[in-house]
Amino acid sequence: MRFSKNHGLPGTLICVEGIDGSGKSTQLAILRDWLISCEQDVIFTEWNSSALISQTTKKAKKKNLLSPRTFSLLHAVDFADRLEQVIVPALKAGFIVLADRYVYTAFARDVSRGVDPQWVRSMYGFAIKPDLAVYFKVPVEVSLERICSNRQPSFYEAGMDLKLNTDPYVSYKIFQSRVIKEYDKMQEEYHLSTIEATDSIHDQQVEFRAIVKEILATKGINIDGY
Amino acid sequence: MDTNTSFTTKHGYPGLLVVIEGTDGAGKSTQIRKLKSWIENTHCYGVIISGWKTSELFANAINEAKDHNLLNATTFSLLYASDFTDRLENRIIPALKAGFVVLLDRYTYTAFARDVVRGLEPEWVQTLYNFAPEPDVVFYLDMPVDALLKRIIAKTGLDYFESGRDIGLSTDFYESFKMYQSKILSEYEIMKQKYNFITIDGTMSIDAVQAKIRGHLSDMFFNKKTPE
Repeated sequence: MRFSKNHGLPGTLICVEGIDGSGKSTQLAILRDWLISCEQDVIFTEWNSSALISQTTKKAKKKNLLSPRTFSLLHAVDFADRLEQVIVPALKAGFIVLADRYVYTAFARDVSRGVDPQWVRSMYGFAIKPDLAVYFKVPVEVSLERICSNRQPSFYEAGMDLKLNTDPYVSYKIFQSRVIKEYDKMQEEYHLSTIEATDSIHDQQVEFRAIVKEILATKGINIDGY
Repeated sequence: MDTNTSFTTKHGYPGLLVVIEGTDGAGKSTQIRKLKSWIENTHCYGVIISGWKTSELFANAINEAKDHNLLNATTFSLLYASDFTDRLENRIIPALKAGFVVLLDRYTYTAFARDVVRGLEPEWVQTLYNFAPEPDVVFYLDMPVDALLKRIIAKTGLDYFESGRDIGLSTDFYESFKMYQSKILSEYEIMKQKYNFITIDGTMSIDAVQAKIRGHLSDMFFNKKTPE
């Protein structure tokens, strides 16, 4: 399957991973602006954003209708759609594709919901193997503080569907700790590059750019300066 | 008076999981409707029917995507798997647990045939559906492609996806349908052996097909277990 081998396409696929509130989207946004200012062709794609299925997901989430397996399948539908319509064409055309979350999100979340790790990994076997996957690692307390400074965690964010605890804050901690554990396991399994997401935004960005420059250089794209 | 009402089944639930498979236009839904009232009236079991692509949550999403021809093979496959899982978890398994007879118009075999014909890896599709309970019996309504064509043209006309137009076999509707359905039929030919389908000649009259199926089911109701 595609996911087990290098894609061999002209473009570069870079993804960021981490739990909610890890700051990965902020980091990716800054990186994107920088790459554009360096005159690179960049395309951005986000988890759970395809028009095909977003209405269904919204409806299902509102009614809390999703079992762990249908939750998993819905996100796979979204991913497959974006992969074939956005990511693959962009890679063929030589773009740098920046993905906010990739298959590792599914592996971490779905397994934390009790879905079989082998099953979900096999399902995503059609995915393109990224050139770089960066994991923004953050303790659950920090994530909770960032996410919930002005609102309650949402039903699925908190893993309330698993009935771990009736208090969404407590449930959030239990569920997201499981997700972190899955990410930690994947650091080795998939050679994720890890950035400590408790460092300052600036320091993280400097580190992030250094890794990205290295990967782009292997693709023949050399960027000077910061 | 027979007091034991639950079955010894392949999946371990007390209810009975009966699947009717076959290509479009083979007469599956007609047979299922007739079976339902027969089982309810003659054998006094509760019966539920679940058809392919009928989950409240996903049926609309699939239809909409089809309307816009938005689907590539993988997305197509995953959407159908979502629909199947939703029905399985919310309707089929609860009914089996409650001792119902569940009559299914198509099962994972349909997904397998369609997905493989669309170029997906057989092992991938198989793993995707590996959580589905094994049916107690699968009736396969066997129809040669020529007979199928006549039936479909007379009834509904050639549908875009039933003709496999999405995979670009031919720009001619008739040719495309014939090629697509022939490919599907050869997948069924393989599965028929592999999964011990009970094959029934779908070109027989509706009543003759029904009588055959009832014959097999009567044995199962009598023995309270499923055929080997």
